[in-house]
Amino acid sequence: MSSRWIWRALAIPGLVWLAVFFVVAFYAIISVGLGNVTTLYEPVPHWNPLDWNVGYIWQAITNVVPGGDTWDTFLRTIIYVVVAVILSLAIGYPVAWYAARHAGRWRGLILVLLVLPFWISYLMRMFAWTNLLAEHGYATRLLHTLSIDTLFQKIGLLDGSDWLGGQHIAVIMALVYGYVPYLILPLFAALDRIDQRHIEAARDLGASPAGAFWRVVVPLSKTGTLAGIVLIALPMFGDYYTPDLISGSPKTAMLGNAINGYVQGGPDKSLGAALTLLLSAFLLIFMVYYLRVIRADQREAAGA
Amino acid sequence: MKRRPSFLAITTWVYIVWSLLPVLLAIRFAFNSGRSRTSLQGWSLRWFWEDPTLSVFHDPTLQSALVHSLELAAIVMLIATPLGTALALGMRRWRGRGSGTANIMLLLPLVTPELVFAVGMFLLFTSAFGFIGLGTTAQAIGQVTFTLSWVVLIVRGRLATIGRDVEEAAADLGAPPLHVVGRVLLPLLVPAMAAGLLVSFALSIDDFVVSQYLASGADTTTVPMRIYSQARGGPTPALNALATIMLVVSLLALVLAYFVFKALTRGEQKEQRDTAFRQLAMEV
Amino acid sequence: MPQGDIELVGLVKRFNDVVAVNGIDVNVAPGEFFTMLGPSGCGKTTTLRLIAGFERPDEGKILLDGVDMTRTPPHKRRVNTVFQSYALFPHKSVADNVGFGLRYHSVTKAEAKRRVDEAMALVRLEDYGQRRPAQLSGGQQQRVALARALVLEPPVLLLDEPLGALDARLRLDLQVELKRIQEQLGITFIYVTHDQDEALTMSDRVAVMRGGNIEQLGEPRELYEAPSTAFVANFLGASNLVPVNIGAADGDGAQLGLGSFVLRAERCPLSSGADAVAMIRPENVRLEPQGSGGENRVPGMVEEVVYLGFHQEVRVRLANGTPIKVDVPNDDEQVEYEQGDAVCVHLPPRHLRVLAADAAVAPAAAAAEQVPA
Repeated sequence: MSSRWIWRALAIPGLVWLAVFFVVAFYAIISVGLGNVTTLYEPVPHWNPLDWNVGYIWQAITNVVPGGDTWDTFLRTIIYVVVAVILSLAIGYPVAWYAARHAGRWRGLILVLLVLPFWISYLMRMFAWTNLLAEHGYATRLLHTLSIDTLFQKIGLLDGSDWLGGQHIAVIMALVYGYVPYLILPLFAALDRIDQRHIEAARDLGASPAGAFWRVVVPLSKTGTLAGIVLIALPMFGDYYTPDLISGSPKTAMLGNAINGYVQGGPDKSLGAALTLLLSAFLLIFMVYYLRVIRADQREAAGA
Repeated sequence: MKRRPSFLAITTWVYIVWSLLPVLLAIRFAFNSGRSRTSLQGWSLRWFWEDPTLSVFHDPTLQSALVHSLELAAIVMLIATPLGTALALGMRRWRGRGSGTANIMLLLPLVTPELVFAVGMFLLFTSAFGFIGLGTTAQAIGQVTFTLSWVVLIVRGRLATIGRDVEEAAADLGAPPLHVVGRVLLPLLVPAMAAGLLVSFALSIDDFVVSQYLASGADTTTVPMRIYSQARGGPTPALNALATIMLVVSLLALVLAYFVFKALTRGEQKEQRDTAFRQLAMEV
Repeated sequence: MPQGDIELVGLVKRFNDVVAVNGIDVNVAPGEFFTMLGPSGCGKTTTLRLIAGFERPDEGKILLDGVDMTRTPPHKRRVNTVFQSYALFPHKSVADNVGFGLRYHSVTKAEAKRRVDEAMALVRLEDYGQRRPAQLSGGQQQRVALARALVLEPPVLLLDEPLGALDARLRLDLQVELKRIQEQLGITFIYVTHDQDEALTMSDRVAVMRGGNIEQLGEPRELYEAPSTAFVANFLGASNLVPVNIGAADGDGAQLGLGSFVLRAERCPLSSGADAVAMIRPENVRLEPQGSGGENRVPGMVEEVVYLGFHQEVRVRLANGTPIKVDVPNDDEQVEYEQGDAVCVHLPPRHLRVLAADAAVAPAAAAAEQVPA
C-alpha cells in the first residue's frame, strides 16, 4: 500500500543517524583496536575485517590479566563496583520500599525529591563533595567531630587526613552517592508493581511483616532489582571522573582512568581502543542480560 | 505496622537529606561574600557578576563555558526532538523484519557506558569522519546520538496513551496518512515534543564525558568540563556560581516541561494524562 | 447512488499462528441491520476491521456494491466506523470532531456547518458543539462518534460493540436510538456485539460466530427458535441441553433414549445411533403433578427454586440424573414449588430440537446463566 511510505520515511532519518553515529562509532573502536599505528604512533584503523591485527587486543589482554600493567586497576575497579553496588542496595532498597509502600501522603513529595538528583549534573554533585571534604569543609569537620576519621584511620580505611587525597573509601562512597539514585527508581518501579494482595495473603497465612518481606517482596522484585543493579554497575565500570574529582591520585585509578589515559592522554590510542573493546565485551554480557530482562518484563506486562 | 514504617521513614528522609544537602550547600557557597568554598561567609552576588575579574560574568573562561553549553544545548534540542519524534512515529507502524533490530539500536545508547560511546565517537571523528573533526559539530552530533533515544521513549509513551483508535478513526473518516499525522497525531504529540525539547536540553547541559572527548580546545569547553578541570585547583566560589546557574537552568527546563505538558493536555481525560506523565517521569 | 451492499467472499485472516477469520462468506443487503454475534475471540471484530480496511485479509475479497475494495486503504473506502472506545479527537471540539471527515468531501463551509448541525440534531446533541469530548458522558461521547460517522452519509456503517462501555439502562436507551436512526436513514448497519439481547432486539439478521466461522446466519426469531447447533442454542437465550441417544426414526422425527426413558422428537436431522443433545428452552418445559402419564414425561425432583420476579426458575433433576431448568410464570394459578417436591417433567415433542453433541458446549449444567437485564 503506497500510503505506508510515510511511516518508513519518518523513521529513516533517525535510524540512519543511529546507524552512522552509533553503530559506526563502535565499529571505529573495533577498527582502531584491531588496527595498527603509524611511525608517529597515530592509530591507523583497519576497517576491513580481513586486515584486522590482533596485536593490540593481545597486548590489552596481557595487560588486564594478573601480572599485567592494568591488572591492579582492573581488580580495583571490580572491587569498587561490587562494594559500591552492595552499599547502594543497602541504602536504596529501604528507601524504595518506603516510597513504594509506606509513604502515604508524602509520596508525591518524596518521589520528586528522589528524582531530583537526575536533573542535577553528576559533575555538580561530585563537585559539591569537593567543597565539603576539603580541608576545612563541613563534612571533614563533622567526620572529625564524630571521630570517624580517627576510627577509619585505625582500621585502615583512611590513609592520612585528606579525604580528597587518594582515599579508596572516598571514591567508593562517591560512587554510591552518584549512582544510588539510578538504582532507587527502577527498584521503586519494581516494588510499586507488586500487588499488595500478595503481601496480604502472606500475612493472612501467618507470616510476620519481616517474613512477608523476605519471602514475598524480595523474590517478586528480583527482576527489577537485577535490572537496577546492572543499570548502575555498567556506567561505574566506565567511570573515570569520579576518582579524578574525589581523589586525583593514581592509587585509586579505575579502568576508565586507564582507558582515558591511553586514548586522550598519550600516544597509545590503539591500546586504549583495544582496552575499550575488552571492557565492552566484558560489559556486553551484562548489557545483553539487561535487555533480556527488559524484554521479558515488557512481554509480561503486555500479557498480564 | 506502627514501628516498622518509622525506621524506614527515618532512613528515607536521612537519605534524601544526604542526597540533596551537599548540592544545596554548594549553591549556598556561590553566594559567599568571601573567597571560601568551604565555609559560609555572608551573602553576596559578587561571584555571579559583581566581582570585576573573577565572577562568572567577567571571567572569560567561565563565561565562554556558559555560552558554549547553552549554544550546544540549543542545537542538540532542536535536532534531537524532530528526529526522535519522527523516529517514534515511524517505528510505531513497523512490523516484521528489522523492527527488532531497530528497537535494539534504539535501546543500546541507553545502556552503553558513556566512556565506550565517547571513545568510539572520538576515534570516528579523528579518522573516518576527520573532515568534521573534533569541536562543536562533533559535540553536537555525539550528544544528539544519545539524547535521541530519550526523545523516542518520551514520544512513544505519549503515542501509547493516544492509542491506535484515534489514528484509525481519522483514516476511517477519510484522512490520508499524511493528514492523520498532521491533523491528529502531531497536535496530540505537542506535549511530548515539548517535553522532549526540554529533556534533551537538560541532558545536553549536564553531559560531561561525550563533550569532553569531542572537544577541540578552550572554546569548546562546556560548564561540566570547566568544573571538572578547576574543581581540585582551589577555585573561587565563582565556580560554584557557574554550577548554580547551570543547575537552575536545567531545573527550570524540567519544571517548564511539567507545566507545559500539563497545560497542553488540559482538555483531556485527567487519568490518561496523569498516567502518561508518570510514565514519562519514570522512564527518565 | 451507493446502495450499501456488502459482500464477503472467502475471507481469511491469520495472525501469526492463529486463524482469526476462517473463511467467511456473507452477503449483507442494502439497508439491512446486520449483526455479528459471538464470544470474544470468535472473529467478529476482526471481520469488521477487515471490512473497514484496518486489516488486510490473507485470502478472499470484500465488495461494496459490486466493487472490489479489498486492496483499497481505509481512508478511501466508503464505509465508516463507530468504535467501542469512541475514539474522539481529544484536542478538538465536538463540532470539529463531527466535521472532521467533511474536509475530504469538497463541501463549502456553509454546507459543512449545515451538515454538522443536522448530524448533531440527529443524535440529539444540538447544543454541545463547543464542548470538548472530555466534558461529555460516555453515552454522549458515543453519540458524537455516531454523528461524526453519519455526517459523511456513508452507505454502510460499521459499529464495533459501541454500547459495550455503557451501563445497562443507557444501553437499552441507545439501542432504541440506534435502531430508530438506522430505519430513518436507511443505511446498512453492520453491528458487532457479544450481547445476545442486543443482537436479538435490533437486528434484521444475525450471524452467530465461533472460532472464525459463522455457525448460523438468520433472522433473530429463526436463531432463537430453531438453532442449528448446541453452541447457537446456548448462546442465544437459556437452553437445556440433554444428552440423548438417537434411536429408531419415526417419520421426520425419531425416538430418543434418555437413560431408561424414551422421548419422541418431532424432527430429527441426525441419524440413528449418533450421540446428540436434545435442546429445549426452559419456558417450553411443562411441570405436571407427579405420576402424570403420557409421552415425553419424565419423573424428577425439584432441587431449587429461584424467584425472579414475574417468573421463577425451577431446577429439577430428572430421574436419570440430568438437570433441567424450567421457567414458570408467576401467575395466580400456578402451583408453588418447593425443594424436594416430586414432579413430572413434560418435554413436548414439538419443542425438542435435536442437535449434534458438542464437547465444547457443556450440556445442561452449563446452560447459559442469563441474568435478566
